[in-house]
Amino acid sequence: MGAPISLLQRLVARPEFGPFVLLVAGMVAFTIRSPTFLSLGNISNFLAFTPELGMIALGMTLLMISGEFDLSVGSVFGFAPIVMWTLYNAQIASLEIGFLIAIAIAVVIGFANGWLVTRLKIPSFLVTLGMLLVVRGTALYITSGFPQRTWAANSLLTTILVGEFSVGRLRIHTSLLWFILFAVILGYVLTQTKAGNWIQASGGNPEAARARGVHVARTKVLLFILTAVMSAYAGITSSIRVSAANPNSGTQYELEVIAMVVIGGTALSGGRGTIIGTVIGVLILRMMQNGIIMIGVPGLAYNIFIGAIILIMMALHSWLERRHRAGT
Amino acid sequence: MRTLVRLNYAAPFGLLSEKGKAILKAIGLSLRILGIIAAFFAPVASWAADKAVYYWVSHGSPTDPVWTYFLQGAEQWAKDTGNDVRTSFHSGDVPSQQEAIRAAISAKARGIVTSTPDPGSLTKVIADAHAAGIPVIIMNTEDKTSGRDAYVGGDNVAIGQRWAQYLVDHNFVKKGDFVWMPVEVPGATYQVLETQGIDTVFKPLGVTYEITEAKLDQAEIITRMSNYLTANRGKIKAIIGLGDLVTGSIKRVFDQVKVKPGEIPVVGWGNSIDTAQEVLDGYVNAAMWQDPQATSYLALSMAAMAASGIPAGFDVSVGTLYEKDKAANYLKIMQGSGQK
Repeated sequence: MGAPISLLQRLVARPEFGPFVLLVAGMVAFTIRSPTFLSLGNISNFLAFTPELGMIALGMTLLMISGEFDLSVGSVFGFAPIVMWTLYNAQIASLEIGFLIAIAIAVVIGFANGWLVTRLKIPSFLVTLGMLLVVRGTALYITSGFPQRTWAANSLLTTILVGEFSVGRLRIHTSLLWFILFAVILGYVLTQTKAGNWIQASGGNPEAARARGVHVARTKVLLFILTAVMSAYAGITSSIRVSAANPNSGTQYELEVIAMVVIGGTALSGGRGTIIGTVIGVLILRMMQNGIIMIGVPGLAYNIFIGAIILIMMALHSWLERRHRAGT
Repeated sequence: MRTLVRLNYAAPFGLLSEKGKAILKAIGLSLRILGIIAAFFAPVASWAADKAVYYWVSHGSPTDPVWTYFLQGAEQWAKDTGNDVRTSFHSGDVPSQQEAIRAAISAKARGIVTSTPDPGSLTKVIADAHAAGIPVIIMNTEDKTSGRDAYVGGDNVAIGQRWAQYLVDHNFVKKGDFVWMPVEVPGATYQVLETQGIDTVFKPLGVTYEITEAKLDQAEIITRMSNYLTANRGKIKAIIGLGDLVTGSIKRVFDQVKVKPGEIPVVGWGNSIDTAQEVLDGYVNAAMWQDPQATSYLALSMAAMAASGIPAGFDVSVGTLYEKDKAANYLKIMQGSGQK
């Protein structure tokens, strides 16, 4: 009897237990209401968009654990594909070179965010809000507001990033595999390496971390760069998959991503969070958005449901966690 | 009852430690949450199961008044035919709109009516819908290469051309003049196509223009437009409102900047009560009525027709440029719709 209880004990003690229960509850509810919710076709659909927001959420998780956050992720998501496709369509660069240039620009954007936050001590809210406007404005300016053509490319890169394959009747994009790989790598870094300790220490108690020799500023700058690169990568992936590169792509994704990360158990104040929790948070919000369309919530009521679901989930999550901590 | 439930959890584990009991309680609590949510949804599990389901998926914003008229048309069609029409708005977010259309395919919709966010962006999902035997009718914003069954709506290139030609024909603009073209969201398909049409008239004549972003929030639109008009009043010879929100804001912007009605000629979209009133009051010279309710109604009818095996091998074109003499008619239609 001891072994199963010990396993249960460990399972329930995990911070991801609450979000996991909510994920299962949501799946049960939507399946009752719409039997096709768990059909292979809809699971394929559900898994197509999930990795794109999920990749941004992975970067944001580490950044938020370090005590910062980034509001410019949505605009970088829209801007990076604009850069790549503009270079490609204007025959200035191949798609592969355009991809590398777009990622390099994301590194610069992330570095600028990190440098301004850590060196000039400006709150990340203000720095990344400014960057959001600069990046979005640049995307609009260089395109004159026009979307870029994306469907003419026939490159190995598009297959590697977001090629399609089938497992039986389940259609999968390679972006899902990349998302899983990134999640495993970042989860390992966060929990098994010195860098992970530094990230948590930077958010939990930066002064104490500094006193113990942690390079707090450097850690945060690198995390801003990681977040921007993940956003750019996700945006490029999305532009190839949906055959659209619009300068307005990714609008308000930053709020959706922060909601995913917080629902997954990462503290807004920093110092605490897990990659598994974020993956569950991503699945919860995507499931909700997919599910309410499946069950036919009226279009004008869509935001009411999404907002209410986020509030209910946060309340339930907080309640479960308090009960868990109190041991009742 | 509560005691009984607790006894059920604890009875087999009477010898457990306090921590073990706490874990079981947490699991019990989780099961109760699952039960509550399942019970909440259960009574409606077979809701609409016996109705044909159609999906109406808009790339527009629910805050754009013209889309409320489109929505009314869809709701009216559902009421008249007894079918279930599931609606959603996606505010230009292509991945989210594609996901909604794929959800419709998974839900085995009888037909799908949608609008195009960006050229080429729906080609794949329309192919998927066709592979599942579901017809797709595009409304409002056309994409001829998408493989759609039919299109119901205005021809935005022709509409842009008509606006520009109207300004030229009425001698409001001439060679070397400057035209201001505010739009809610630069890059949206409607703006791209309208601008292509405008180019065909203005470019050969050497008329220049600037497109400015006004956003989707009414207060921000008025502020941005007022600021631009204040800064550039001297050089603006005419205004083309590329969207309904911007054209419907002309009176408030003119009043704020102290521009008299008619002082700067204006043409643009006329699908809102505000714009129809502006045409009546002389702030806007001519406005385009897009028949939004009729567009949705006809698009859903065509989807139903195609689902029944009658090919929708033709498009339906809508749109009328109205001036002061006809504005009252359109105002009446919109006010009537608004009162429902």
